[in-house]
Amino acid sequence: MKLFNENIDKSKNNIKELKKPEFLTCQECDKEILKELVHSNLSTCVYCGYLFRVPAKKRIEMIADENTFVEIGKGKASTDPLQFPEYDEKLKKAKKATGLKEAIVCGTCKIGGYNTGLAVMDSYFMMGSMGQMVGEKITDLAEVCLEKQLPLIIFCASGGARMQEGIVSLLQMSRTTVAINKLNDAGLLYVTVLTNPTTGGVTASFAMQGDIILAEPKALIGFAGPRVIKQTVKDDLPEEFQTAEYLLEKGMIDKIVERKDLRNSLAHILSLH
Amino acid sequence: MNSVLIANRGEIAVRIIRTCKKLGLNTIAIFSEADKDAYYTKIADHAVCIGPAKAEKSYLNIDGIIAVAKVYDVSAIHPGIGFLSENSNFQRACEKAGIIFIGPDAKSMDLLGDKAKARQLMIDNNIPVPQGSDGEINDYKEAKALADKIGYPVIIKASHGGGGGGIRIVHEKEKFKSEFMLVKKEAKAAFGSDSVYIEQYLTKTRHIEVQILADGHDNVLHFGTRECSMQRKNQKLVEEAPAPFIPDEIRHDMQMCAVKIAKIAGYKNAGTVEFLLTDDNKFYFMEMNTRIQVEHPVTEAVYGIDLIKCQLQVALNHKFALTQNDINANGHAIECRINAENPEKNFAPSPGKIKSMQLPGGFGVRVDSGYICKDKISPFYDSMVLKVICHGQDRDEAIMSSYQALSELDIQGIDINSDFAQAILMHKDFKNGNVHTKWIETILCAEIFD
Repeated sequence: MKLFNENIDKSKNNIKELKKPEFLTCQECDKEILKELVHSNLSTCVYCGYLFRVPAKKRIEMIADENTFVEIGKGKASTDPLQFPEYDEKLKKAKKATGLKEAIVCGTCKIGGYNTGLAVMDSYFMMGSMGQMVGEKITDLAEVCLEKQLPLIIFCASGGARMQEGIVSLLQMSRTTVAINKLNDAGLLYVTVLTNPTTGGVTASFAMQGDIILAEPKALIGFAGPRVIKQTVKDDLPEEFQTAEYLLEKGMIDKIVERKDLRNSLAHILSLH
Repeated sequence: MNSVLIANRGEIAVRIIRTCKKLGLNTIAIFSEADKDAYYTKIADHAVCIGPAKAEKSYLNIDGIIAVAKVYDVSAIHPGIGFLSENSNFQRACEKAGIIFIGPDAKSMDLLGDKAKARQLMIDNNIPVPQGSDGEINDYKEAKALADKIGYPVIIKASHGGGGGGIRIVHEKEKFKSEFMLVKKEAKAAFGSDSVYIEQYLTKTRHIEVQILADGHDNVLHFGTRECSMQRKNQKLVEEAPAPFIPDEIRHDMQMCAVKIAKIAGYKNAGTVEFLLTDDNKFYFMEMNTRIQVEHPVTEAVYGIDLIKCQLQVALNHKFALTQNDINANGHAIECRINAENPEKNFAPSPGKIKSMQLPGGFGVRVDSGYICKDKISPFYDSMVLKVICHGQDRDEAIMSSYQALSELDIQGIDINSDFAQAILMHKDFKNGNVHTKWIETILCAEIFD
């Protein structure tokens, strides 16, 4: 006599063809880890704690209160202003890899119950390079914050200005700086979180304008690359040059915050404001 | 149900994978670095390294396990034993991810997993419990007053404890305060909550448990009793089914009580209700484990069922086709847990590489092992190597079969406790049922080692 009349019918099993799982290699300990496992662990190596770069959407999940993020300017994408060769292909590839139209996601949300503007750069999209639309999205968000009297938090992650958009990219440095200045004039709080890497034109503009500048541990933060600097100064550079720890020591940033503590730290800052 | 992720390791992972594979299900195993070459990773269809050896970064990493499950498009997760098997947050995470959790729902897990709340539920439903607190009691003065009233010894237990942890027995009132505070501190560290409750400590009791299975359609069946009194430091060493030397009426009452408890709690899937039985045959509810148990094979042997398969079917909402009257026990079964430890050196753990392994066999002999030859027993997890389960037409035959099987068992490279298990089997007290949960520690160890 069978305990159940029904069977687990093997013929009904429909084992789908799985996509080959993607693995990431930790740059610190060299171990290979399933990509989704990394990102389920705050994009941190489960073995040594190395901080992988965080996709923008993942970062928003980590930081914003659940179901509060409202995106602004979702459809904005580069218009290839200089008709740069092969730029179109690179953009298609970046969009496919990230599911984004540009290297930044902007919107409003709550953090710890407090309303704020939030922009998160995505270094998986063409190394987070700043082109026309990245600048435009930041400017648009700053204007929304001005209108609604909201603080603004920007997570920076960039290789600098986007080469393929030339002078148009460089223009974004002044454009974003002006937008942030307007927030400052209005007495609105502006916080930046510098993540690995934050370099080039982004560092030379809005990233270092924060009223409070936080950074993730061991983040590479700089303007020019170390090789160029070394050639210019004709001297060796300190071992920890251009790390968050070095910048903290030199007074360029306010605090280094562990990734797992960022949400609470930002909520606390917003509460004080 | 296409594929099952086994959120566990070792012997139980092998067990679950075997049943899943025979049913044509795809199996996904997770392993920590310490289990890189473990046998169960080789028999699963896919195996994924989930993290470092430390359990909280691997086998207890809920987000990581769910992430892996999604990558492999898993339909269901079996949580096994220990680790996340009684963690309602894990159950909820599975549900949120659209993955079937092979076990009870979070609500009944929370209710029964909080031992203090479970105790209160039993009191409210006239299920016998030892004298003690109504649910949790966290104020020291209140607890002391109650302990003084009950009379010593009393037992202080962590509300969220399990696996034999978070328990202190207090024999003298002068020691109550320090022990009370210690249990709270240990409970907080081990289980995340310092909630405790207290009970009269009943001495010389037997640990008798009842296997239940609920199909989620208001049907609950029991699969008899198990005797689990052969314990050392609250860890079971030898178990048997059915529990011997219990008057039929008491056995029946315990079994019916277990079914009642499952129904009150709205329970679904496999579970075990644990009772204490005194030497004058009074039984008291101890706790209910909301998962499959290590010793489930003795019940399988006696009732001729695959309990893991039953769990999968219940998870698929299959309904029982049988009633309690259709369920019949046959014979007797004994399980001996073989651990990598040296009883002669105060049961010191013996991790290391298995150089050779000779396993017993024959009619009615089953070996469930998490390891094969050349595998390493790591120091990171429990020391159980394998279980030897022997079925006989009656208890005497099961005892002799177990003894013989352990004589054939030979593992080189690590120390094992098979001789000690044989000493239990051959002792007159074990044969005659003159045992209790402290018998090994107070009688057998004193005889063998002093």
